[in-house]
Amino acid sequence: MLRPLQRRKLRRRLAPYLLSLPAAALVILFLAGLVSGLVQSFGYIPAFGLREWTLKYYRAVFADGALAASVRLSLWISAASTVLSAVLGTVLCAALVRMQGRNGAALQIVRVPIQVPHTVAALFTLSIFSQSGLLSRILERAGALAAQGGFPNLISGPSGGGILLAYVWKEAPFVAYFVLALMQSVSRRLDEAAATLGASPVRTFFSVTLPLSAPAILRASLIIFAFSFGAYELPFLLGATSPKALPVQAYIEYINPDLKHRPYAMALNGVILLLTLALAAAFFAVTERTAKKLGGGHEA
Amino acid sequence: MKKKYAFRVLAMLASAVMLMGLVTGCGSPASSATSASAFSVSSESSDFDPSADWDSIVKAARGTTVNFYGWGGDEDRNEYLGTTVAKALKDQYDITLNVVGMDIDQILSQLSGEKQAGTQTGTIDMIWINGENFRSARENGLLFGPFAQYLPSYQKGVDPADTENQTDFGYPIDGYEAPYGKAQMVLIDDSARTPETPASAQELLAFAQKYPGRVTYPAPPDFTGSAFVRNIVYELCGYQQFQTMEADKETLRAAVEPAMEYLRQLNPYLWNQGKTFPSTSGEVENMFLDGELVLNMSYSPYTVSTGIAKGTYPATARTFLLDNGTIGNTNYIAIACDAPNKAGAMVVINYILSAEGQLSQYQALRTIPVLSGKLLSQEEKDAFGAVELGEGVLTQEELLSKRLPEMPSALVPLLEQIWLEEVVGK
Repeated sequence: MLRPLQRRKLRRRLAPYLLSLPAAALVILFLAGLVSGLVQSFGYIPAFGLREWTLKYYRAVFADGALAASVRLSLWISAASTVLSAVLGTVLCAALVRMQGRNGAALQIVRVPIQVPHTVAALFTLSIFSQSGLLSRILERAGALAAQGGFPNLISGPSGGGILLAYVWKEAPFVAYFVLALMQSVSRRLDEAAATLGASPVRTFFSVTLPLSAPAILRASLIIFAFSFGAYELPFLLGATSPKALPVQAYIEYINPDLKHRPYAMALNGVILLLTLALAAAFFAVTERTAKKLGGGHEA
Repeated sequence: MKKKYAFRVLAMLASAVMLMGLVTGCGSPASSATSASAFSVSSESSDFDPSADWDSIVKAARGTTVNFYGWGGDEDRNEYLGTTVAKALKDQYDITLNVVGMDIDQILSQLSGEKQAGTQTGTIDMIWINGENFRSARENGLLFGPFAQYLPSYQKGVDPADTENQTDFGYPIDGYEAPYGKAQMVLIDDSARTPETPASAQELLAFAQKYPGRVTYPAPPDFTGSAFVRNIVYELCGYQQFQTMEADKETLRAAVEPAMEYLRQLNPYLWNQGKTFPSTSGEVENMFLDGELVLNMSYSPYTVSTGIAKGTYPATARTFLLDNGTIGNTNYIAIACDAPNKAGAMVVINYILSAEGQLSQYQALRTIPVLSGKLLSQEEKDAFGAVELGEGVLTQEELLSKRLPEMPSALVPLLEQIWLEEVVGK
């Protein structure tokens, strides 16, 4: 058998592989579902009698005029909510950093939207901002509106206002939380140095803190973009009847009683996957370039 | 650096191998299916004969568990099945009823997945099903049967001449499902707020013009919204032509054009000017109860009486129909082709279909019974008549006298798409 030293060396070599097995198992499960969905999108579902590999479902998806509107809506919702959340989140983070040590209560409040599920966030938005919601009734009581119908339709308009509102409420605190640790460390190290060189706090923030925190902000933005692009609950609960966001459209096709329609739904999912991967790759390229510019690898 | 590189290569190789295994696994389900069936023991349920002597079926079912899968979104129904029905089955037949709430698309997916894997005995015994889903399940061979005609309750109380017992949304039943309950589309409004009851398409248009922004309907493919659009189509285009129409989108589009034109005319007076619609019937009901809308619609004709009893509906709410009739359908129970307990499933369905079962369902949930009045005994008829319906609702006779058949199931998704293209925001 091995001597104690050799055993220890072997264990150290094997440890990373063994420790990564649980994560690998989860990733394999996820990939299995993904691959199964992709296989179905190419028309191969023997249980329903579909045995030929074909691109016709993808062609049908692209030929459908409604798809373009759905893609545009999904892109608009994701892009707008990501940009707004990133900006607001960064501002929020800067405020928290300035509070330095007295921000315990503020942190707890900021944490609340992150913990609240998206469905509940949709309920909040509906209860407060819908035409028969709290805000409408308060304004009506105060005499500012003619009747309950006088309140404008903020929620289910075609521009997705309600969806944006709910997403920003949830994602801005997430960005703030994600970037907080990095921004605090940057601030701690470099704020004083910048001040001694004559920079005002605002100048310090825009020239020093923000550029150095940028990798973390961009990574948080990628996470919330990818999530909002493929998420179902908010566009379903708060969206207009037409156009529907991509995931909502995919689900409607999925529950079509004709089981042979299934590959069409899977093709829509394939489109969502493709777009998300392309955007993630683009993001990655941008962040790599930013990181290289700042002298390599500031990890979040 | 070398260690990192080796780890990365090993990880990539491992995932590539596992992915390859998955893809080839997906790629040869035929071989895996045959190997599965070669190894699986053919249980007695695959040799089950539904036409066997009824007493032997009851004996085989004694002491077993039956799994009943169906939509679980109705709390009252879940409670009724879990307490009243389960207790009666336990007392009379020593059967344990296990009610599982699952959406029909998931049920059908599970069954087709089990079929692909070549499973002989799955987990689903009974399925609450109707319409397009029944057609889909039959076309994919997911159901067991024929069995309905062998049930004593069916032979005793169900009228075989009734079209709703011969076809389901126009598709022949052939004994593959047994009737469970009847539903009918009704309109609801509050007499304290709106003295009118619009009973035709023209009256509805005038109603919407009188109360602009306070009338709407759930967007198809919601079940109730879809039924409302079909009702309008029947109002303006007649219903007979659709019973035998072929499932071609352009033929249908031409046939329903008058109804789509009417709905476009209606749009400017609807909630949000018809640019967007509530996505579920639940939302429409909430808005009606909140006072935002003045009209509600439902597939359960006794929603108002149960609502008033619970205190959610105002006491002045009332139910009404269109003069030309509203759509009614029957929903059914079917048995899965790989059900582990077919004998138990037949006994449970037989109970639900019996006069006792239908009466308790009528009392608890106000579901219209499926048994034919002609075939009931006098005391059974009296028992049904004695059930207090509550306020603000119509009697069975009134409902059944203004009842129209459903459109063939293949046309329904086409109509929903046509509505989306022709009406929303126009």
